[in-house]
Amino acid sequence: MKDIKINVNGKTHKLNIKEDERLVDTLRNRLGLTGVKEGCSEGECGACTVIMDGETVTSCTVLTFQAKGKEIITIEGINGGNKIHPIQQAFLDEGAVQCGFCTPGMILSAKVLLDKNPEPTREEARKAISGNLCRCTGYNKIVDAIIKASKYLKREGN
Amino acid sequence: MSYDVVGKNIIRVDGLSKVTGKATYPQDISMDNMLYGKTLRSIKPHAYIKVDISKALNLEGVKAVLTAKDVPGKNHHGVLFKDHEVFCEKKVRRIGDPIAFVVAETEEIAENAVDKIKVEYNEIEPIFDPIKAMDKDSPKVHDSSNIVYHYKLRQGNIDKGFKNCDKIVENEYKTSRTDHAFLQPEAGISYIDKEGRYAVCVATQYPHYDRLEIAEALGVKEEKVRVINAAVGGAFGGREDITLQIHLALAAMKLKRPIKAVYSRKESFNAHCKRHPLIMKYKTGADKQGNLIALKAEIIGDTGAYASWAINVLRKAGVHATGPYEIPNVEVDSIAVYTNNPFSGAMRGFGATQIPIAHEQQMDMLAESLGLDPLTIRMKNIFTKGSKTSTGQILKESVPLDKCLAEIDKKMNFTQSYKGGVKE
Ligand code: FES
Ligand code: FES
Repeated sequence: MKDIKINVNGKTHKLNIKEDERLVDTLRNRLGLTGVKEGCSEGECGACTVIMDGETVTSCTVLTFQAKGKEIITIEGINGGNKIHPIQQAFLDEGAVQCGFCTPGMILSAKVLLDKNPEPTREEARKAISGNLCRCTGYNKIVDAIIKASKYLKREGN
Repeated sequence: MSYDVVGKNIIRVDGLSKVTGKATYPQDISMDNMLYGKTLRSIKPHAYIKVDISKALNLEGVKAVLTAKDVPGKNHHGVLFKDHEVFCEKKVRRIGDPIAFVVAETEEIAENAVDKIKVEYNEIEPIFDPIKAMDKDSPKVHDSSNIVYHYKLRQGNIDKGFKNCDKIVENEYKTSRTDHAFLQPEAGISYIDKEGRYAVCVATQYPHYDRLEIAEALGVKEEKVRVINAAVGGAFGGREDITLQIHLALAAMKLKRPIKAVYSRKESFNAHCKRHPLIMKYKTGADKQGNLIALKAEIIGDTGAYASWAINVLRKAGVHATGPYEIPNVEVDSIAVYTNNPFSGAMRGFGATQIPIAHEQQMDMLAESLGLDPLTIRMKNIFTKGSKTSTGQILKESVPLDKCLAEIDKKMNFTQSYKGGVKE
Protein backbone atom coordinates (compact mmCIF):
# COMPACT_ATOMS: atom_id res chain seq x y z
CA MET A 1 0.00 0.00 0.00
CA LYS A 2 1.04 3.57 -0.64
CA ASP A 3 0.01 6.98 0.70
CA ILE A 4 -0.69 9.66 -1.88
CA LYS A 5 -2.44 12.98 -2.24
CA ILE A 6 -4.54 13.79 -5.26
CA ASN A 7 -6.79 16.68 -6.01
CA VAL A 8 -10.13 15.66 -7.47
CA ASN A 9 -12.73 18.23 -8.50
CA GLY A 10 -11.02 20.87 -6.41
CA LYS A 11 -10.74 18.81 -3.25
CA THR A 12 -7.52 17.24 -1.98
CA HIS A 13 -7.78 13.60 -0.88
CA LYS A 14 -5.23 11.71 1.17
CA LEU A 15 -5.47 8.09 0.11
CA ASN A 16 -3.87 4.81 1.03
CA ILE A 17 -3.86 2.94 -2.27
CA LYS A 18 -2.68 -0.37 -3.65
CA GLU A 19 0.43 -0.14 -5.86
CA ASP A 20 -1.42 -1.55 -8.87
CA GLU A 21 -4.68 0.30 -8.28
CA ARG A 22 -6.19 1.84 -11.41
CA LEU A 23 -7.36 5.44 -11.33
CA VAL A 24 -10.82 4.41 -12.57
CA ASP A 25 -11.25 2.18 -9.49
CA THR A 26 -10.01 4.84 -7.08
CA LEU A 27 -12.43 7.37 -8.50
CA ARG A 28 -15.42 5.02 -8.69
CA ASN A 29 -14.96 2.84 -5.63
CA ARG A 30 -13.09 5.00 -3.12
CA LEU A 31 -14.46 8.42 -4.03
CA GLY A 32 -17.88 7.32 -5.29
CA LEU A 33 -17.51 9.21 -8.58
CA THR A 34 -19.56 6.77 -10.64
CA GLY A 35 -19.96 9.28 -13.46
CA VAL A 36 -16.60 7.83 -14.57
CA LYS A 37 -17.65 4.88 -16.75
CA GLU A 38 -15.79 1.72 -17.70
CA GLY A 39 -16.51 0.20 -21.10
CA CYS A 40 -13.42 -1.71 -22.23
CA SER A 41 -10.66 -1.53 -19.58
CA GLU A 42 -7.97 -1.16 -22.23
CA GLY A 43 -7.92 2.44 -23.38
CA GLU A 44 -10.09 1.91 -26.45
CA CYS A 45 -13.55 3.31 -25.74
CA GLY A 46 -12.97 6.54 -23.82
CA ALA A 47 -15.90 6.00 -21.43
CA CYS A 48 -13.51 6.38 -18.46
CA THR A 49 -12.06 9.67 -19.69
CA VAL A 50 -11.13 12.21 -17.02
CA ILE A 51 -9.11 15.41 -17.16
CA MET A 52 -5.67 15.24 -15.52
CA ASP A 53 -3.75 18.53 -15.33
CA GLY A 54 -5.69 19.89 -18.28
CA GLU A 55 -5.35 16.87 -20.57
CA THR A 56 -7.71 13.96 -21.16
CA VAL A 57 -6.59 10.55 -19.96
CA THR A 58 -8.34 7.18 -20.00
CA SER A 59 -8.49 6.42 -16.28
CA CYS A 60 -8.52 2.66 -16.91
CA THR A 61 -4.94 2.82 -18.19
CA VAL A 62 -3.61 5.19 -15.52
CA LEU A 63 -2.42 3.82 -12.21
CA THR A 64 -3.48 5.93 -9.28
CA PHE A 65 0.09 6.55 -8.09
CA GLN A 66 0.74 8.23 -11.45
CA ALA A 67 -1.91 10.80 -10.48
CA LYS A 68 0.03 11.74 -7.36
CA GLY A 69 -0.07 15.50 -6.85
CA LYS A 70 -2.13 16.02 -9.99
CA GLU A 71 -5.43 17.78 -10.48
CA ILE A 72 -8.22 15.60 -11.73
CA ILE A 73 -11.60 16.70 -13.05
CA THR A 74 -14.45 14.24 -13.56
CA ILE A 75 -17.95 14.88 -14.93
CA GLU A 76 -19.08 15.53 -11.36
CA GLY A 77 -16.69 18.45 -11.06
CA ILE A 78 -16.98 20.01 -14.47
CA ASN A 79 -18.75 23.07 -13.16
CA GLY A 80 -17.97 23.16 -9.50
CA GLY A 81 -21.06 21.18 -8.55
CA ASN A 82 -24.61 22.48 -8.97
CA LYS A 83 -25.15 24.52 -12.11
CA ILE A 84 -25.08 22.78 -15.44
CA HIS A 85 -22.07 23.58 -17.61
CA PRO A 86 -22.71 25.10 -21.08
CA ILE A 87 -21.23 22.00 -22.72
CA GLN A 88 -23.71 19.82 -20.83
CA GLN A 89 -26.54 22.17 -21.90
CA ALA A 90 -25.43 21.96 -25.52
CA PHE A 91 -25.40 18.13 -25.41
CA LEU A 92 -28.98 18.24 -24.08
CA ASP A 93 -30.19 20.81 -26.59
CA GLU A 94 -28.69 19.02 -29.59
CA GLY A 95 -29.98 15.58 -28.62
CA ALA A 96 -26.38 14.33 -28.40
CA VAL A 97 -27.25 11.88 -25.63
CA GLN A 98 -28.91 8.50 -26.02
CA CYS A 99 -27.90 5.74 -23.61
CA GLY A 100 -25.52 8.21 -21.98
CA PHE A 101 -22.72 5.79 -21.21
CA CYS A 102 -20.25 7.62 -23.46
CA THR A 103 -21.55 11.05 -22.47
CA PRO A 104 -19.35 11.93 -19.46
CA GLY A 105 -16.22 11.05 -21.44
CA MET A 106 -17.43 12.93 -24.51
CA ILE A 107 -18.18 16.05 -22.50
CA LEU A 108 -14.76 16.00 -20.80
CA SER A 109 -12.98 15.57 -24.15
CA ALA A 110 -15.04 18.47 -25.47
CA LYS A 111 -14.05 20.56 -22.46
CA VAL A 112 -10.32 20.06 -23.00
CA LEU A 113 -10.76 21.02 -26.66
CA LEU A 114 -12.79 24.15 -25.91
CA ASP A 115 -10.45 25.24 -23.12
CA LYS A 116 -7.61 25.33 -25.63
CA ASN A 117 -9.50 26.22 -28.77
CA PRO A 118 -12.70 28.21 -28.12
CA GLU A 119 -13.85 28.19 -31.75
CA PRO A 120 -13.06 24.77 -33.18
CA THR A 121 -14.02 23.64 -36.67
CA ARG A 122 -16.13 20.47 -37.07
CA GLU A 123 -12.96 18.70 -38.13
CA GLU A 124 -11.18 19.74 -34.93
CA ALA A 125 -14.19 18.67 -32.87
CA ARG A 126 -14.13 15.24 -34.52
CA LYS A 127 -10.42 14.89 -33.76
CA ALA A 128 -10.98 15.86 -30.12
CA ILE A 129 -13.50 13.01 -29.64
CA SER A 130 -11.58 10.49 -31.75
CA GLY A 131 -10.74 8.57 -28.56
CA ASN A 132 -14.37 8.34 -27.44
CA LEU A 133 -16.66 5.70 -28.90
CA CYS A 134 -20.40 6.15 -29.06
CA ARG A 135 -22.51 3.18 -30.14
CA CYS A 136 -25.91 4.90 -30.02
CA THR A 137 -26.04 8.49 -31.15
CA GLY A 138 -23.54 8.56 -33.97
CA TYR A 139 -21.08 11.41 -34.02
CA ASN A 140 -22.87 14.15 -35.96
CA LYS A 141 -25.07 15.30 -33.11
CA ILE A 142 -22.14 15.18 -30.72
CA VAL A 143 -20.11 17.40 -33.05
CA ASP A 144 -23.16 19.70 -33.39
CA ALA A 145 -23.24 19.90 -29.60
CA ILE A 146 -19.56 20.82 -29.35
CA ILE A 147 -19.99 23.59 -31.93
CA LYS A 148 -23.07 24.84 -30.09
CA ALA A 149 -21.18 24.70 -26.78
CA SER A 150 -18.48 26.94 -28.22
CA LYS A 151 -21.21 29.51 -29.01
CA TYR A 152 -22.74 29.20 -25.54
CA LEU A 153 -19.34 29.70 -23.92
CA LYS A 154 -18.59 32.74 -26.09
CA ARG A 155 -21.95 34.26 -25.12
CA GLU A 156 -21.15 33.72 -21.48
CA GLY A 157 -17.79 35.34 -22.04
CA ASN A 158 -15.65 32.59 -20.56
CA MET B 1 -54.83 18.62 -34.87
CA SER B 2 -51.82 19.84 -32.94
CA TYR B 3 -49.16 17.58 -31.53
CA ASP B 4 -47.23 17.90 -28.30
CA VAL B 5 -44.21 15.96 -29.46
CA VAL B 6 -44.22 15.30 -33.23
CA GLY B 7 -42.34 18.03 -35.07
CA LYS B 8 -40.94 19.55 -31.89
CA ASN B 9 -37.54 19.34 -30.28
CA ILE B 10 -38.08 17.58 -26.99
CA ILE B 11 -35.33 17.22 -24.40
CA ARG B 12 -35.22 13.64 -23.20
CA VAL B 13 -36.41 13.08 -19.65
CA ASP B 14 -33.24 11.28 -18.59
CA GLY B 15 -30.95 13.73 -20.41
CA LEU B 16 -29.98 15.83 -17.43
CA SER B 17 -29.01 12.83 -15.31
CA LYS B 18 -26.87 11.54 -18.18
CA VAL B 19 -24.95 14.75 -18.96
CA THR B 20 -24.20 15.23 -15.27
CA GLY B 21 -22.99 11.65 -14.77
CA LYS B 22 -25.69 10.94 -12.21
CA ALA B 23 -27.60 8.34 -14.24
CA THR B 24 -27.27 5.03 -12.43
CA TYR B 25 -26.24 1.99 -14.48
CA PRO B 26 -26.20 -1.30 -12.62
CA GLN B 27 -22.39 -1.25 -12.15
CA ASP B 28 -22.79 2.05 -10.28
CA ILE B 29 -24.80 0.48 -7.45
CA SER B 30 -23.17 -0.84 -4.29
CA MET B 31 -24.82 -2.15 -1.15
CA ASP B 32 -23.65 -2.86 2.39
CA ASN B 33 -22.52 -6.40 3.04
CA MET B 34 -22.28 -7.06 -0.70
CA LEU B 35 -20.69 -10.14 -2.27
CA TYR B 36 -19.28 -10.52 -5.80
CA GLY B 37 -20.09 -13.06 -8.46
CA LYS B 38 -17.99 -14.44 -11.34
CA THR B 39 -19.04 -16.86 -14.03
CA LEU B 40 -17.10 -19.87 -15.23
CA ARG B 41 -17.68 -20.38 -18.95
CA SER B 42 -16.98 -23.18 -21.35
CA ILE B 43 -13.76 -23.03 -23.34
CA LYS B 44 -14.87 -25.81 -25.71
CA PRO B 45 -17.52 -25.57 -28.41
CA HIS B 46 -19.03 -29.04 -27.95
CA ALA B 47 -18.29 -31.41 -25.09
CA TYR B 48 -19.69 -33.45 -22.24
CA ILE B 49 -18.54 -32.01 -18.94
CA LYS B 50 -17.73 -33.13 -15.42
CA VAL B 51 -17.33 -30.35 -12.90
CA ASP B 52 -15.39 -30.50 -9.62
CA ILE B 53 -15.91 -27.42 -7.44
CA SER B 54 -14.31 -28.70 -4.24
CA LYS B 55 -11.03 -26.75 -4.50
CA ALA B 56 -12.86 -23.53 -5.28
CA LEU B 57 -15.27 -23.98 -2.39
CA ASN B 58 -12.40 -24.43 0.07
CA LEU B 59 -10.82 -21.11 -0.81
CA GLU B 60 -11.08 -18.57 1.97
CA GLY B 61 -13.71 -15.93 1.24
CA VAL B 62 -15.70 -18.10 -1.16
CA LYS B 63 -19.34 -18.24 -0.10
CA ALA B 64 -20.85 -20.46 -2.78
CA VAL B 65 -20.17 -22.10 -6.10
CA LEU B 66 -23.44 -22.51 -7.96
CA THR B 67 -23.86 -25.14 -10.65
CA ALA B 68 -26.80 -26.91 -12.33
CA LYS B 69 -27.46 -28.77 -9.07
CA ASP B 70 -28.26 -25.51 -7.32
CA VAL B 71 -31.13 -24.54 -9.57
CA PRO B 72 -34.24 -25.37 -7.53
CA GLY B 73 -36.69 -24.71 -10.36
CA LYS B 74 -36.21 -25.31 -14.06
CA ASN B 75 -32.62 -25.21 -15.28
CA HIS B 76 -33.57 -23.42 -18.48
CA HIS B 77 -34.42 -20.14 -20.15
CA GLY B 78 -34.87 -18.68 -23.63
CA VAL B 79 -37.03 -16.02 -25.25
CA LEU B 80 -38.93 -18.50 -27.45
CA PHE B 81 -37.61 -22.02 -26.94
CA LYS B 82 -36.27 -22.87 -23.50
CA ASP B 83 -33.07 -24.27 -25.00
CA HIS B 84 -30.52 -22.43 -22.82
CA GLU B 85 -29.51 -23.95 -19.51
CA VAL B 86 -28.99 -21.64 -16.54
CA PHE B 87 -25.83 -23.71 -15.94
CA CYS B 88 -24.80 -26.47 -18.36
CA GLU B 89 -25.43 -29.77 -16.66
CA LYS B 90 -23.99 -32.47 -18.92
CA LYS B 91 -23.02 -30.78 -22.12
CA VAL B 92 -21.67 -27.48 -23.41
CA ARG B 93 -22.74 -26.33 -26.87
CA ARG B 94 -20.56 -23.29 -27.49
CA ILE B 95 -17.53 -21.45 -26.16
CA GLY B 96 -18.89 -19.18 -23.44
CA ASP B 97 -21.67 -21.41 -22.13
CA PRO B 98 -22.07 -20.78 -18.37
CA ILE B 99 -21.04 -23.70 -16.15
CA ALA B 100 -20.77 -22.23 -12.65
CA PHE B 101 -21.14 -18.99 -10.71
CA VAL B 102 -18.73 -18.28 -7.87
CA VAL B 103 -19.77 -15.93 -5.09
CA ALA B 104 -17.08 -14.50 -2.81
CA GLU B 105 -16.23 -11.65 -0.47
CA THR B 106 -14.23 -9.80 -3.11
CA GLU B 107 -14.02 -9.78 -6.88
CA GLU B 108 -10.42 -11.01 -6.73
CA ILE B 109 -11.27 -14.02 -4.60
CA ALA B 110 -14.16 -14.88 -6.93
CA GLU B 111 -11.84 -14.67 -9.91
CA ASN B 112 -9.24 -16.90 -8.26
CA ALA B 113 -11.92 -19.40 -7.32
CA VAL B 114 -13.15 -19.61 -10.91
CA ASP B 115 -9.65 -20.76 -11.88
CA LYS B 116 -9.78 -23.44 -9.19
CA ILE B 117 -12.87 -25.15 -10.61
CA LYS B 118 -11.92 -28.28 -12.49
CA VAL B 119 -13.84 -29.01 -15.64
CA GLU B 120 -13.24 -32.25 -17.47
CA TYR B 121 -14.21 -31.79 -21.10
CA ASN B 122 -15.07 -34.90 -23.05
CA GLU B 123 -15.13 -33.42 -26.52
CA ILE B 124 -17.77 -34.25 -29.10
CA GLU B 125 -17.34 -33.53 -32.80
CA PRO B 126 -18.46 -29.91 -33.25
CA ILE B 127 -20.38 -28.52 -36.20
CA PHE B 128 -19.66 -24.97 -37.37
CA ASP B 129 -20.96 -24.94 -40.96
CA PRO B 130 -24.72 -24.32 -41.06
CA ILE B 131 -25.09 -26.00 -44.44
CA LYS B 132 -23.40 -29.18 -43.24
CA ALA B 133 -25.38 -28.94 -40.00
CA MET B 134 -28.57 -29.51 -42.02
CA ASP B 135 -27.39 -33.03 -43.05
CA LYS B 136 -29.17 -35.85 -41.30
CA ASP B 137 -25.92 -37.39 -40.06
CA SER B 138 -24.25 -34.22 -38.83
CA PRO B 139 -23.44 -33.89 -35.11
CA LYS B 140 -26.50 -32.69 -33.22
CA VAL B 141 -26.23 -29.55 -31.10
CA HIS B 142 -29.43 -30.38 -29.23
CA ASP B 143 -31.16 -33.72 -29.21
CA SER B 144 -33.07 -33.58 -32.49
CA SER B 145 -32.44 -32.06 -35.93
CA ASN B 146 -30.29 -28.93 -36.21
CA ILE B 147 -32.98 -27.31 -38.33
CA VAL B 148 -34.82 -24.95 -36.01
CA TYR B 149 -37.20 -23.39 -38.49
CA HIS B 150 -38.10 -23.40 -42.19
CA TYR B 151 -40.15 -20.56 -43.63
CA LYS B 152 -41.61 -21.04 -47.11
CA LEU B 153 -42.97 -18.31 -49.32
CA ARG B 154 -44.60 -19.23 -52.66
CA GLN B 155 -46.26 -17.00 -55.21
CA GLY B 156 -47.12 -17.62 -58.88
CA ASN B 157 -45.23 -20.30 -60.80
CA ILE B 158 -41.49 -20.09 -60.35
CA ASP B 159 -40.47 -22.41 -63.24
CA LYS B 160 -42.72 -20.71 -65.76
CA GLY B 161 -41.55 -17.36 -64.46
CA PHE B 162 -37.88 -18.06 -65.13
CA LYS B 163 -38.77 -19.44 -68.62
CA ASN B 164 -40.25 -16.06 -69.48
CA CYS B 165 -37.16 -14.11 -68.39
CA ASP B 166 -34.73 -12.54 -70.87
CA LYS B 167 -31.99 -12.15 -68.28
CA ILE B 168 -31.30 -14.09 -65.09
CA VAL B 169 -28.60 -13.42 -62.52
CA GLU B 170 -27.64 -15.95 -59.93
CA ASN B 171 -25.29 -15.39 -56.98
CA GLU B 172 -24.51 -16.35 -53.43
CA TYR B 173 -24.01 -13.76 -50.68
CA LYS B 174 -22.76 -14.09 -47.14
CA THR B 175 -22.96 -11.69 -44.23
CA SER B 176 -20.87 -11.90 -41.10
CA ARG B 177 -21.63 -12.42 -37.43
CA THR B 178 -21.78 -9.02 -35.66
CA ASP B 179 -21.71 -7.99 -32.04
CA HIS B 180 -23.77 -5.09 -30.72
CA ALA B 181 -20.85 -3.83 -28.63
CA PHE B 182 -23.18 -1.66 -26.55
CA LEU B 183 -20.92 0.57 -24.51
CA GLN B 184 -22.03 -0.55 -21.03
CA PRO B 185 -21.03 -4.16 -20.34
CA GLU B 186 -23.60 -6.34 -18.55
CA ALA B 187 -23.80 -5.82 -14.80
CA GLY B 188 -26.31 -6.35 -12.05
CA ILE B 189 -27.02 -6.58 -8.38
CA SER B 190 -29.49 -8.85 -6.60
CA TYR B 191 -30.80 -8.81 -3.03
CA ILE B 192 -33.81 -9.73 -0.94
CA ASP B 193 -35.97 -6.63 -0.57
CA LYS B 194 -37.99 -5.51 2.47
CA GLU B 195 -41.00 -7.48 1.31
CA GLY B 196 -38.97 -10.65 0.98
CA ARG B 197 -38.84 -10.58 -2.82
CA TYR B 198 -35.80 -11.45 -4.90
CA ALA B 199 -34.89 -8.11 -6.41
CA VAL B 200 -32.64 -8.07 -9.45
CA CYS B 201 -31.38 -4.75 -10.69
CA VAL B 202 -30.00 -4.94 -14.24
CA ALA B 203 -29.99 -3.18 -17.59
CA THR B 204 -32.43 -5.15 -19.70
CA GLN B 205 -34.70 -4.86 -22.70
CA TYR B 206 -37.30 -7.20 -21.17
CA PRO B 207 -37.89 -6.77 -17.42
CA HIS B 208 -41.17 -8.70 -17.74
CA TYR B 209 -39.62 -11.70 -19.52
CA ASP B 210 -36.67 -11.65 -17.15
CA ARG B 211 -38.99 -11.80 -14.17
CA LEU B 212 -40.81 -14.80 -15.58
CA GLU B 213 -37.60 -16.66 -16.36
CA ILE B 214 -36.00 -15.86 -13.00
CA ALA B 215 -39.13 -17.07 -11.16
CA GLU B 216 -39.19 -20.28 -13.18
CA ALA B 217 -35.53 -21.04 -12.41
CA LEU B 218 -35.90 -20.19 -8.73
CA GLY B 219 -39.08 -22.25 -8.54
CA VAL B 220 -41.03 -19.40 -6.97
CA LYS B 221 -44.13 -17.43 -7.93
CA GLU B 222 -43.59 -14.46 -10.21
CA GLU B 223 -44.76 -12.12 -7.44
CA LYS B 224 -41.68 -13.15 -5.45
CA VAL B 225 -39.38 -11.64 -8.06
CA ARG B 226 -38.83 -7.99 -8.78
CA VAL B 227 -36.77 -6.81 -11.73
CA ILE B 228 -35.58 -3.21 -11.57
CA ASN B 229 -34.34 -1.69 -14.79
CA ALA B 230 -31.43 0.65 -14.13
CA ALA B 231 -30.12 3.01 -16.81
CA VAL B 232 -29.41 0.88 -19.89
CA GLY B 233 -26.11 1.60 -21.62
CA GLY B 234 -27.18 0.64 -25.13
CA ALA B 235 -28.68 -2.70 -26.10
CA PHE B 236 -29.61 -2.97 -29.82
CA GLY B 237 -31.16 -6.40 -29.28
CA GLY B 238 -28.23 -7.74 -27.28
CA ARG B 239 -30.03 -7.49 -23.96
CA GLU B 240 -33.11 -9.47 -24.96
CA ASP B 241 -31.77 -12.84 -23.78
CA ILE B 242 -30.94 -13.54 -20.14
CA THR B 243 -27.26 -13.30 -19.17
CA LEU B 244 -26.53 -12.79 -15.45
CA GLN B 245 -30.08 -12.22 -14.14
CA ILE B 246 -30.81 -15.76 -12.95
CA HIS B 247 -27.28 -16.35 -11.62
CA LEU B 248 -27.56 -13.28 -9.40
CA ALA B 249 -31.04 -14.13 -8.12
CA LEU B 250 -30.01 -17.70 -7.29
CA ALA B 251 -27.06 -16.39 -5.29
CA ALA B 252 -29.20 -13.90 -3.36
CA MET B 253 -31.70 -16.66 -2.61
CA LYS B 254 -29.03 -18.99 -1.31
CA LEU B 255 -26.84 -16.54 0.61
CA LYS B 256 -29.40 -13.91 1.66
CA ARG B 257 -26.90 -11.14 0.98
CA PRO B 258 -26.64 -8.66 -1.91
CA ILE B 259 -24.59 -10.00 -4.85
CA LYS B 260 -23.04 -7.89 -7.56
CA ALA B 261 -21.52 -8.95 -10.86
CA VAL B 262 -19.94 -6.88 -13.62
CA TYR B 263 -18.84 -8.40 -16.92
CA SER B 264 -15.60 -7.41 -18.60
CA ARG B 265 -15.82 -6.46 -22.26
CA LYS B 266 -14.48 -9.90 -23.15
CA GLU B 267 -17.09 -11.69 -21.09
CA SER B 268 -19.76 -9.44 -22.56
CA PHE B 269 -18.74 -10.65 -26.04
CA ASN B 270 -18.92 -14.25 -24.83
CA ALA B 271 -22.22 -13.89 -23.01
CA HIS B 272 -24.75 -12.31 -25.35
CA CYS B 273 -26.11 -13.09 -28.80
CA LYS B 274 -24.81 -11.94 -32.19
CA ARG B 275 -26.46 -10.90 -35.44
CA HIS B 276 -27.35 -13.98 -37.53
CA PRO B 277 -24.81 -14.52 -40.30
CA LEU B 278 -26.82 -15.34 -43.44
CA ILE B 279 -25.95 -17.33 -46.53
CA MET B 280 -28.23 -16.09 -49.30
CA LYS B 281 -28.53 -17.90 -52.64
CA TYR B 282 -30.36 -15.67 -55.06
CA LYS B 283 -31.74 -16.08 -58.59
CA THR B 284 -33.49 -13.04 -60.05
CA GLY B 285 -34.92 -12.70 -63.57
CA ALA B 286 -36.42 -9.91 -65.65
CA ASP B 287 -37.65 -9.22 -69.19
CA LYS B 288 -35.72 -7.03 -71.67
CA GLN B 289 -37.33 -3.86 -70.37
CA GLY B 290 -36.20 -4.63 -66.82
CA ASN B 291 -39.54 -5.74 -65.36
CA LEU B 292 -38.89 -8.36 -62.68
CA ILE B 293 -40.58 -11.66 -63.42
CA ALA B 294 -39.18 -14.24 -61.02
CA LEU B 295 -37.12 -14.46 -57.81
CA LYS B 296 -35.90 -17.54 -56.03
CA ALA B 297 -34.01 -17.29 -52.75
CA GLU B 298 -32.60 -19.73 -50.27
CA ILE B 299 -31.58 -18.08 -47.00
CA ILE B 300 -29.71 -20.00 -44.35
CA GLY B 301 -29.23 -18.40 -40.96
CA ASP B 302 -26.63 -19.66 -38.48
CA THR B 303 -28.27 -19.33 -35.08
CA GLY B 304 -25.33 -20.93 -33.28
CA ALA B 305 -25.93 -22.98 -30.16
CA TYR B 306 -29.30 -21.46 -29.22
CA ALA B 307 -32.43 -20.42 -31.05
CA SER B 308 -33.07 -17.11 -29.31
CA TRP B 309 -35.11 -15.12 -31.88
CA ALA B 310 -33.99 -17.23 -34.88
CA ILE B 311 -37.56 -17.95 -35.95
CA ASN B 312 -38.55 -14.30 -36.02
CA VAL B 313 -35.29 -13.25 -37.63
CA LEU B 314 -35.39 -15.82 -40.42
CA ARG B 315 -39.09 -15.21 -41.00
CA LYS B 316 -38.43 -11.51 -41.35
CA ALA B 317 -35.53 -12.18 -43.70
CA GLY B 318 -37.85 -14.39 -45.79
CA VAL B 319 -40.70 -11.90 -45.85
CA HIS B 320 -38.31 -9.15 -46.96
CA ALA B 321 -36.48 -11.34 -49.47
CA THR B 322 -37.96 -9.65 -52.56
CA GLY B 323 -36.94 -6.23 -51.34
CA PRO B 324 -39.40 -3.42 -52.04
CA TYR B 325 -40.27 -4.84 -55.48
CA GLU B 326 -43.35 -6.35 -57.05
CA ILE B 327 -42.46 -9.74 -58.53
CA PRO B 328 -45.19 -12.09 -59.85
CA ASN B 329 -43.33 -15.39 -59.30
CA VAL B 330 -41.52 -15.94 -56.02
CA GLU B 331 -40.10 -18.90 -54.16
CA VAL B 332 -38.31 -18.25 -50.86
CA ASP B 333 -36.97 -20.77 -48.35
CA SER B 334 -35.58 -19.31 -45.17
CA ILE B 335 -34.00 -21.71 -42.70
CA ALA B 336 -32.55 -21.30 -39.20
CA VAL B 337 -29.90 -23.84 -38.18
CA TYR B 338 -28.18 -24.76 -34.91
CA THR B 339 -24.35 -24.97 -34.91
CA ASN B 340 -21.69 -24.80 -32.18
CA ASN B 341 -20.94 -21.17 -32.98
CA PRO B 342 -21.77 -18.23 -30.69
CA PHE B 343 -25.56 -17.96 -30.58
CA SER B 344 -27.43 -15.46 -32.71
CA GLY B 345 -30.45 -13.42 -31.76
CA ALA B 346 -31.86 -9.95 -32.05
CA MET B 347 -29.76 -7.21 -33.50
CA ARG B 348 -30.97 -4.02 -35.15
CA GLY B 349 -33.25 -5.04 -38.00
CA PHE B 350 -33.97 -8.65 -37.11
CA GLY B 351 -32.98 -10.16 -40.48
CA ALA B 352 -34.12 -7.19 -42.54
CA THR B 353 -30.64 -5.68 -42.29
CA GLN B 354 -28.78 -8.57 -43.93
CA ILE B 355 -31.14 -9.28 -46.80
CA PRO B 356 -30.74 -6.06 -48.89
CA ILE B 357 -27.09 -6.97 -49.47
CA ALA B 358 -28.42 -9.77 -51.68
CA HIS B 359 -31.55 -8.34 -53.30
CA GLU B 360 -30.00 -4.97 -54.08
CA GLN B 361 -26.79 -6.40 -55.51
CA GLN B 362 -28.97 -8.61 -57.71
CA MET B 363 -30.77 -5.48 -58.97
CA ASP B 364 -27.50 -3.74 -59.82
CA MET B 365 -26.20 -6.78 -61.70
CA LEU B 366 -29.48 -7.27 -63.57
CA ALA B 367 -29.47 -3.59 -64.54
CA GLU B 368 -25.92 -3.81 -65.84
CA SER B 369 -26.62 -6.93 -67.89
CA LEU B 370 -29.71 -5.28 -69.40
CA GLY B 371 -27.92 -2.03 -70.18
CA LEU B 372 -30.04 -0.08 -67.71
CA ASP B 373 -28.93 2.24 -64.96
CA PRO B 374 -29.50 1.11 -61.36
CA LEU B 375 -32.25 3.64 -60.70
CA THR B 376 -34.36 3.02 -63.80
CA ILE B 377 -34.66 -0.71 -63.10
CA ARG B 378 -35.76 0.04 -59.55
CA MET B 379 -38.32 2.64 -60.59
CA LYS B 380 -39.95 0.04 -62.86
CA ASN B 381 -40.45 -2.44 -60.04
CA ILE B 382 -40.79 -0.67 -56.70
CA PHE B 383 -43.82 -0.81 -54.47
CA THR B 384 -46.25 2.06 -54.86
CA LYS B 385 -49.65 2.66 -53.33
CA GLY B 386 -51.85 -0.31 -54.20
CA SER B 387 -48.95 -2.77 -54.77
CA LYS B 388 -49.33 -6.34 -53.63
CA THR B 389 -46.33 -7.81 -51.81
CA SER B 390 -45.34 -11.43 -52.38
CA THR B 391 -46.88 -12.28 -49.00
CA GLY B 392 -50.23 -11.02 -50.27
CA GLN B 393 -50.39 -7.70 -48.49
CA ILE B 394 -51.99 -4.82 -50.38
CA LEU B 395 -50.15 -1.60 -49.54
CA LYS B 396 -52.98 0.85 -49.02
CA GLU B 397 -51.32 3.64 -47.10
CA SER B 398 -48.35 5.86 -47.77
CA VAL B 399 -45.69 4.25 -50.00
CA PRO B 400 -43.54 7.22 -51.05
CA LEU B 401 -40.52 5.29 -52.29
CA ASP B 402 -40.94 6.56 -55.88
CA LYS B 403 -40.95 10.18 -54.70
CA CYS B 404 -37.86 9.55 -52.57
CA LEU B 405 -35.92 7.99 -55.47
CA ALA B 406 -37.01 10.73 -57.89
CA GLU B 407 -35.75 13.33 -55.44
CA ILE B 408 -32.39 11.56 -55.12
CA ASP B 409 -32.13 11.35 -58.90
CA LYS B 410 -32.74 15.08 -59.21
CA LYS B 411 -30.22 16.03 -56.52
CA MET B 412 -27.50 13.61 -57.65
CA ASN B 413 -28.17 13.71 -61.36
CA PHE B 414 -28.04 9.95 -61.07
CA THR B 415 -29.65 8.55 -64.25
CA GLN B 416 -27.91 11.21 -66.36
CA SER B 417 -24.51 9.97 -65.23
CA TYR B 418 -25.12 6.49 -66.67
CA LYS B 419 -24.86 5.46 -70.32
CA GLY B 420 -26.21 1.99 -71.16
CA GLY B 421 -25.97 0.77 -67.57
CA VAL B 422 -22.38 1.96 -67.12
CA LYS B 423 -21.34 4.97 -65.06
CA GLU B 424 -19.57 7.55 -67.18
S1 FES C 1 -12.79 1.86 -20.15
FE1 FES C 1 -11.07 3.09 -20.31
S2 FES C 1 -10.93 3.47 -22.41
FE2 FES C 1 -12.60 2.07 -22.28
S1 FES D 1 -25.09 7.47 -26.16
FE1 FES D 1 -24.83 5.30 -25.93
S2 FES D 1 -22.74 5.07 -26.36
FE2 FES D 1 -23.05 7.17 -26.79
